[in-house]
Amino acid sequence: MIPAGHFFIVAVVLFALGVIAFFVKKDLIMQFMSVEVMLNAANLAFLALAPRAQAAEAQAVVLFVITVAAAEAAVGLAIILVVFRRRKAVRTEDLRGLKG
Amino acid sequence: MSLILPLLPLLAVAGGAIVVLLLDAFWRRPSKNHLAFATLAFLAAAAAAAVRLWDAGAEAFDGALRLDRPALLFTLILILAASFTVLLAMRWMAQQNAAFGEFYGLLLLSLSGLLIMVSTRDLLVVFLGLEVFSVSAYALTGLKRNDERSEEAAAKYFLIGSFAAAFMVFGLAMLFGAAGSFDIGILLGSGNAAGLPAFTLVGLGLVITGLAFKIALVPFHMWQPDVYQGAPTPVSGYFVVAPKTAGFLVLLRLVLPIGRGSSGGDAIHYFLYAVAALTMLVGNLGALRQKNLKRMFAYSSIAHAGYVLIAVLALDARGLAFYLASYLFLGIGAFAALAAMSRPDREFGELDDFAGIGFRYPWIGSIFSIVLLAMAGFPPLSGFLAKFYVFSAAVRAGLTPLVFIGVLTSLISVAYYLRVIGTMYMREPEQPVDIDVENPAVLLVLFLCLYGILQLGVFPGNILQVIRQAMAGLF
Repeated sequence: MIPAGHFFIVAVVLFALGVIAFFVKKDLIMQFMSVEVMLNAANLAFLALAPRAQAAEAQAVVLFVITVAAAEAAVGLAIILVVFRRRKAVRTEDLRGLKG
Repeated sequence: MSLILPLLPLLAVAGGAIVVLLLDAFWRRPSKNHLAFATLAFLAAAAAAAVRLWDAGAEAFDGALRLDRPALLFTLILILAASFTVLLAMRWMAQQNAAFGEFYGLLLLSLSGLLIMVSTRDLLVVFLGLEVFSVSAYALTGLKRNDERSEEAAAKYFLIGSFAAAFMVFGLAMLFGAAGSFDIGILLGSGNAAGLPAFTLVGLGLVITGLAFKIALVPFHMWQPDVYQGAPTPVSGYFVVAPKTAGFLVLLRLVLPIGRGSSGGDAIHYFLYAVAALTMLVGNLGALRQKNLKRMFAYSSIAHAGYVLIAVLALDARGLAFYLASYLFLGIGAFAALAAMSRPDREFGELDDFAGIGFRYPWIGSIFSIVLLAMAGFPPLSGFLAKFYVFSAAVRAGLTPLVFIGVLTSLISVAYYLRVIGTMYMREPEQPVDIDVENPAVLLVLFLCLYGILQLGVFPGNILQVIRQAMAGLF
């Protein structure tokens, strides 16, 4: 059996990849997807650490996080759609109207 | 009954959100004012329930939701902020073609999230409340649909907000792995003698980072000026006050049980120490060079967050509550003046637009000037006392260098606050702006803020008593 600690390492790596992608990508959808990767890395971390904490709640927490992520996706995609309708693109360099 | 009673403030707000949304769908009327009045009624009901619970306190869901006195005090402050926002928005939203019924529903929903945040010691519940607030806040930001800056602000807010949320969840996972619980007391209380385990420390750092994003502490503040400039003005007023108020209570609850002296506790302490110094400097220096007042107040709110962070570091619960209560009237008052500076389809937010306003619109000019003086910390206004309490507690706690930076940056802040007053009274307008003066609700908010500033600044006794009584519940 694979020890739970290895899953945690995978989670950390996934999270780091998400953070890097968030800064590297220049597209709202891709940035949004990298946030989703980060959230799912956190979910994996919860599951990997559940045996260590010896509490079953960790599995329930994952369901909460998935729900929150779904709600965020609903509002976030709607916002990205509004941006797309006006500019016909969702590149971050188009979002330069606010400066000072 | 015993289950319903502690939930009443929250039920009135969250249930109110649903009722208002349904009202908008099924009772169509040309003006949306009936929704505003319904919202105010629900807010009043929530406030009444919170006052009724004051003596006894209450718990629900096995202590996951705990309405102790600090929670109730902050509940009342947040409800007041939301009520002011409703009054500001009533006419403004119609003028700017953003009169959507969803505004009132979303405002109540976002408020319910903040109420959840302040009335718990369970970090998972804090996270859920924060996300309820955030998701509604993204939509509120983008509500001015005919304005491309509004949608840009919403997109930025959404991306940074969910990025921060992911940090917070990962931190929660590590904290949970270390202690097997989300309760702040159990999480942080156990490690006092030996110092916090490294795992807990990293988790706590991630959670605090996530929180710092949401309440815009430097260096996690970059999104804030953009979002506050792009969001509808009444919503910006709500954003400078409400999420910070709730976030700082959570931060204080997190920092309180961590003892100094252990290596882990010291690490968190010095991290926040540096953040406080940076927040004050960047906030005030950033505000200096702004030409747009919404942006200037966004930076100024960052600076004020730095002062509140001093109170957190000094573990001065009373100073923190007093500062946030006084900032309620300052932040809302400033944005009320900005909301007043509008007419149908047009908004005036640039510094040049304010030239000559002091004489053309004496009430708006004079109250706005008092708000600005209070923000700069002139006695006998509330901003002075708030800073005084925080700084004196910080000196007692041995944070003299921070107080030095605080006083210095306050002096810097006088420059940009006085510049606005100077523009209003001493400069001739190139082309005078015409604003819509028939806006009684905004004037009402301005006068209430004036009252709050003077009451807290000149006769703070009663409020201090309430705050002392409330914040004793934290320890």
